[in-house]
Amino acid sequence: MSISIRSPRDFCAGLIFLFFGTLAAYIARDYPMGSAVRMGPGYFPYVLGILLALLGVVVCIKSLLMHGERIESASLRALSLVLGAVGAFAGTIEGFGIVIATALLVGIGAAASPESRPREVAVLIAFLLALAVGVFTYGLGLPFRIFPV
Amino acid sequence: MAEFFRSHPCPSRRSWLRAVPYVFGAFVAGAALPQDYPSRPIRIIVPFPAGGTADLLARQIGQTMSEALRQQVVIENRTGAGGNIGADLAAKSKPDGYTLLMGTVSTHAINPNLYPRIPYDPVKDFAPVTMVAKMPNLLVVHPSVPAKNVAELIALAKARPGALAFASAGNGTSQHLSGELFKKMAGVDMIHVPYKGNAPAVTDLVGGQVQVMFDNIPVSLQQVRAGKLRPLAVTGPLRSPVLPGLPTLAEAALPGYSITSWFGLYVPSGTSPQIIERLNREANKALANAQFRRRLSDQGIEPAGGTPGQFADFMRAELVKWGKIVRESGARVE
Amino acid sequence: MELLANLQLGFDVALTLQNVLYCFLGVLLGTLIGVLPGIGPVATIAMLLPATFALPPVSALIMLAGIYYGAQYGGSTTAILVNLPGEASSVVTCLDGYAMAQQGRAGPALAVAALGSFFAGTVATLILVLFAPPLAEVAFKFGPAEYFSLMVLGLIAAIVLARGSLIKAIAMILLGLLLGLIGADTNTGQFRFTFGLPQLADGIGFVVVAMGMFGFSEIIANIERRARREVVMAKITSLFPTREDLKASWKAVLRGTGIGALLGILPGGGATLGSFAAYTLEKKVAKDPSRFGKGAIEGVAGPESANNAGAQTSFIPLLTLGIPANAVMALMVGAMTIHGITPGPQVMTERPELFWGMIASMWIGNLLLVVLNLPLIGIWVKLLSVPYRILYPAILLFACIGVYSLNNSAIDVALALAFGFLGYLFIKLDCEPAPLLLGFVLGPMMEENLRRALLLSRGDPTVFVTRPLSLTLLVVAAALLIIVVVPAVRKKREEAFQE
Repeated sequence: MSISIRSPRDFCAGLIFLFFGTLAAYIARDYPMGSAVRMGPGYFPYVLGILLALLGVVVCIKSLLMHGERIESASLRALSLVLGAVGAFAGTIEGFGIVIATALLVGIGAAASPESRPREVAVLIAFLLALAVGVFTYGLGLPFRIFPV
Repeated sequence: MAEFFRSHPCPSRRSWLRAVPYVFGAFVAGAALPQDYPSRPIRIIVPFPAGGTADLLARQIGQTMSEALRQQVVIENRTGAGGNIGADLAAKSKPDGYTLLMGTVSTHAINPNLYPRIPYDPVKDFAPVTMVAKMPNLLVVHPSVPAKNVAELIALAKARPGALAFASAGNGTSQHLSGELFKKMAGVDMIHVPYKGNAPAVTDLVGGQVQVMFDNIPVSLQQVRAGKLRPLAVTGPLRSPVLPGLPTLAEAALPGYSITSWFGLYVPSGTSPQIIERLNREANKALANAQFRRRLSDQGIEPAGGTPGQFADFMRAELVKWGKIVRESGARVE
Repeated sequence: MELLANLQLGFDVALTLQNVLYCFLGVLLGTLIGVLPGIGPVATIAMLLPATFALPPVSALIMLAGIYYGAQYGGSTTAILVNLPGEASSVVTCLDGYAMAQQGRAGPALAVAALGSFFAGTVATLILVLFAPPLAEVAFKFGPAEYFSLMVLGLIAAIVLARGSLIKAIAMILLGLLLGLIGADTNTGQFRFTFGLPQLADGIGFVVVAMGMFGFSEIIANIERRARREVVMAKITSLFPTREDLKASWKAVLRGTGIGALLGILPGGGATLGSFAAYTLEKKVAKDPSRFGKGAIEGVAGPESANNAGAQTSFIPLLTLGIPANAVMALMVGAMTIHGITPGPQVMTERPELFWGMIASMWIGNLLLVVLNLPLIGIWVKLLSVPYRILYPAILLFACIGVYSLNNSAIDVALALAFGFLGYLFIKLDCEPAPLLLGFVLGPMMEENLRRALLLSRGDPTVFVTRPLSLTLLVVAAALLIIVVVPAVRKKREEAFQE
């Protein structure tokens, strides 16, 4: 019987749990532990981290024994453009104001879908800009800078 | 100048005179043009969550100042790290008079002494505008505690070391340090039980899970009035007008004990003196409102006011005082 | 009958034209900000506070309260339509509500949510009238030990939320618990997992995690499915629930109302637990639990009723004791003091018109909400027929603005981005985000209360079983654990035998 990954989804999930669990426990070691009845700030995260890592191992082992579905291929275009759009918003909202942040977010974000049409996107940007400035900035009074000063 | 005329359609001789320093200031300050000030909305950064005392003070003063300055005053809550995040943001803002900070005893006296690393300098990075209000903490106990006064509480704590627990709104808050200073000066041992904010701490105090608290006076005053908590003393140097029969801790048992929480407006250092003077004037006007003063004093908060210079002196003294308290109490954060 | 006289007084106050108008304004505004993801009632009430200076105190408080429970109503709309939970309590609404919307049944989901909420609001208002003072005492019975035991119960309930693998669900809960611990430790002030970032000192906001894990990741996955032509746009069957829908939901509404009203009284995060608990209960009592997560209408009716009942009863600690149960209530305390009212146990006797007027207005507000929301359902459902390529950039924008405006912090948006990536990864790997979110909410409260209880008991761990209320909660938790684990183990064994 050869060892092979029978459930790739579970195997990867297990690795993720193992990673975060180990990371948490490793970092928590530096915090004061205390004892079970006088817990320090490190105790709870350390125990949780170890437990999570152990569960990660269990999930991994299980994935070698039981069959599961394959991991679907990811659309890098959708992933990178949607997250890129959010990143652009985060990067520009404070320095450049709501107008530029909105335009970038909608422009980049809309390109994530293969169905998007340039003319529609232009109209959408104009509409959402009016909404962001009119409703959120003036209507609700959120403290946004509108343009780069 | 256009702005000035619009706000005073019929300028009298006196308001002309009042404009002189502004015009003069404009030549001196160069880029900042105080006579146009304010030409866009002003923000007051509050480094604590909406609904707290600092936030409510800022909103009420902001409202009045906004009417006088004919500009929107926006309150921005920037919470985190015991107030350090908001204070740091204000410290690093442009000194153009459009960013104010509602600083507190935490951001400008306690934290600089308590946190090992702090991203701003409370003296160098800020120019004081005016003190806004101060309030003492209230030493309250659950009614089941047999002590009827401070001396009895100290005796009780001495008889059973570690048996009493005192609640606070978190590590490094004035409630926490009031308790630590009490422990030190009275030579007693009590367990410190920190909570996330006042409300859950008071709930557990009223429920009898903890026995003692040095709480901000507006929060526990209602519970005292309803007979759910017993007040023993106030922490300030003077008695509180809302509870005139209650002694100060210094009178009752611990001479020299004095802790007061306070709130004040700051601008980043480098802001033109004319703008500071204008803001000071408007803030003092807002603080002079009789209804506002009464609302504050009903809750045990004492409205302050005064010149930037007075506030600067006060703050310097507080920094030294809290340095001593923090060192003596041995309190530490991180 | 003193009670009737009180109610009469309340309705006399609440039914003046002015107060009905402010109530309407409040619930309308609340619905609006509830629908916009992320813009919470805290920000809105804080901004409106100075505007209420000029109003009589009763009108001001009626309006502000209306914003709060109106937002609870509106929040479910976004959760059902586009899978964006703006608050912790909407997370479970996403599970079956969004599934229903994908099947073209957004209308019935919204209608049941609205009707269930109205019923729950009515009952909860009645509870407020009848039992507010004695129920307030319950809050004092809950010390740190009781809260810890309640959180244990909540965590076990979180396992029930899971659809798929039990082990993976538990791992997700643990991951959530760990994420919840980020920030300064309440007990010692020690910074944990902050990586030197001061913005993380107070931890990560719930909305940040929820927007990333539910909102952003779902958008990416959706674009992908559409590109592969996997999504067949389900035809909208009907706007209103069928007779079968109503038959399936009414018991869920009753149960949800009960649980939500009860948990709402507890100031320490009880209201958050309400909708989770209601969902768990519905899934447990259902004849066929496998329908849950695939568009079971009880999974919308129960939690939504619980959510609204809890929103009303969370006023109990505020009105009777002057102790705020959450950030919105803290603002209400502020509003009262600004208007010269000292919130506290005396409000009921010293300002009866305020106390009873506010309670009566809540029922009127709930009525207004139903009248307002039922006709809106048609419009919301129409919104779904907008092509997705146009809809999703708008959702993305609202989510970003919402996340940013929580603390006016761009770092929060960047964090939501990271959680979006993680959430996408978890979709690909069949790991469900709901248990993680519940763990995230419960984790810090659980640790805090565990350590506080042990601090107060001077290190004696028996406090959790010697205090009767705490013991009861732990026994219920143990029973639930057995109910959850035994069938799962049995199923596994059967599967193993078959192989």
